[in-house]
Amino acid sequence: MRVIIGFGNTLRGEDAFGVDVINQLQKYFKEKASENTKLISVFQLTPELCLELLEAKEIIFIDALYSLDLKYTLACDIKQDIKGTNLSHHISPKIIISMLKDLYNCSFTYEIFSMTTCNFEEFKENDKNKEYKNCVKKVSSFIKDNPSFS
Amino acid sequence: MAKKEKIVISPVTRIEGHAKITIDLDENKNVEDARIHVTQYRGFEKICEGRPYTEMPALTARTCGICPVSHAISSTKACDNLLAVRPPKAGRNLRRIINLGQIIQSHALNFYHLSAPDFIYGFDAQPEDRNIFKMMQTHPQMAKEGIRLRAFGQKVIETLGGKRIHPTWIVPGGVSHEITEETKQTILAQIPEALEIAQKALKYYTDNLHKFQKEINSFANFPSLFMSLVNKKGNLEHYDGFLKFIDSEGKVLEEGIDPRFYKEYIGEAVEEDSYLKSPYYKPLGYPQGMYRVGPLARLNIANACGTPLADIEFEKFKNLNNGKPVLNSFYYHYARLIEIIYGIERIEQLLNEPETLDSQVRAHATINRNRGVGCSEAPRGTLFHDYEVSNTGIITGVNLIIATGNNNLAMNAGVKQVAQAFVDGNDIKDGALNRVEAVIRCFDPCLSCSTHALGTVSSKIEIRDSKKNIIQVLNRN
Repeated sequence: MRVIIGFGNTLRGEDAFGVDVINQLQKYFKEKASENTKLISVFQLTPELCLELLEAKEIIFIDALYSLDLKYTLACDIKQDIKGTNLSHHISPKIIISMLKDLYNCSFTYEIFSMTTCNFEEFKENDKNKEYKNCVKKVSSFIKDNPSFS
Repeated sequence: MAKKEKIVISPVTRIEGHAKITIDLDENKNVEDARIHVTQYRGFEKICEGRPYTEMPALTARTCGICPVSHAISSTKACDNLLAVRPPKAGRNLRRIINLGQIIQSHALNFYHLSAPDFIYGFDAQPEDRNIFKMMQTHPQMAKEGIRLRAFGQKVIETLGGKRIHPTWIVPGGVSHEITEETKQTILAQIPEALEIAQKALKYYTDNLHKFQKEINSFANFPSLFMSLVNKKGNLEHYDGFLKFIDSEGKVLEEGIDPRFYKEYIGEAVEEDSYLKSPYYKPLGYPQGMYRVGPLARLNIANACGTPLADIEFEKFKNLNNGKPVLNSFYYHYARLIEIIYGIERIEQLLNEPETLDSQVRAHATINRNRGVGCSEAPRGTLFHDYEVSNTGIITGVNLIIATGNNNLAMNAGVKQVAQAFVDGNDIKDGALNRVEAVIRCFDPCLSCSTHALGTVSSKIEIRDSKKNIIQVLNRN
């Protein structure tokens, strides 16, 4: 099963990127229902999310990435560096991946799609700029056009 | 000539929000003073002005991604007060259930993910070993149980509220819709496993307590007042009831207080070096009126929990200090674990009450009062939402006293006590600094809430001399 997780705070401007991509994909999968794809949109990643990923063979994380220099650059990061020891009530994709592998012996591939932005201010639906919308469209099209990246 | 120095731990790790600790050393490098500074500011009280009161539950829930349900509960109770309505029994029961789901998930996360690494590996373990990753390797079953138990609390919130974070189901007058028999059975089916895990966690904690005698003796172990809500019988209460204050000997200072009159008993001081308010018990003044809230205070004040398994553990807890209030903040963890058991049992009781499935879940009205106060017990302690509105329901004033803020004076006193017990200015060890952080973790503060986080967490310790100049910086991450 392929699980696609978009996460972010929809009240904080373009932090909504992951959630907006999922919304876009939902429209597509509504028409072409696929049992092999699960879409999840969440405010933040939490430990118990692992329990929804146990059957996943491929996990895609979609998030906005803070950057002052690179605006609306899309990146796909597959390298993971799990070093941090600090932990709060919400966690990163790294910890989710580590939990699935170490605790549940899950075997899967994963990708992290990010859009760089520095706009985490509130905006109204109509104000979403073209570049942002274009990024949402590009990533959702890229994912639906490629049923698997592995 | 020897100089006074200062150590700064910034930020404090494995807590929610951003804070730093400064430790002042005297000329002989002994700890002279220590303080926690909350370094983030959010200003929710001001942001809310000018908004319609109906937006308040959703707006104030955004104060926090961890305990949005607690804010929604206190907020809607304040709105009930503005409308001068009492939600129907089903609405009240359902609010109670979702509030307990919140408490269970938050307590589980504090125990398993934030605090357990200290219990498993000890406070002197290397930082790279003292974290959830190491725990996953050496104690995978316990780590999995932590996930399952928190998932139970989250599932209760999601099943009732529609989503785990920021559910909008809790509304002024009650809740937005009733639950079905199927929903009830879905939650009931998960209770045996959740209860088993919670009991196992408590056994693990009590079996290992003997290893931490020095921490028990020095982790914010001092006389203070305690405050919490209790029900009519004087038992544990998280949703409604009356405010009660006791002193460190268990003497009742105030009881039966309607939370709407909290301002007569609680003053709010502001300190220059922190965005966190310092509430105090007014009759004793500031800072002598220091009190503690949260799980330790709730169990110290309550006569009983009111559920079978929790009451067995409650008796053992009460015996820690021969029936008098337990003063050692290390036992916050103990109280937290008992509250998880209580929460699970109480959810089962509430679900099995026939009225809970009633279709009448919400009372409707328009503004009938210009001031409304809502109070409930959040995971970390007593939470107050106090709103003033115009006749058309527009918010003109807001005062929030957040659970963590109530503990500010006690956290500061605790940090100083632990620093004096463990920090040697001539040989500053990581284990000693970890203990200074760990005493704050006992209170499980939620600083994002209580300053009403933004930015990147960096972790450093600054050492300052007697003139407050930084003379050394150590990274904590």
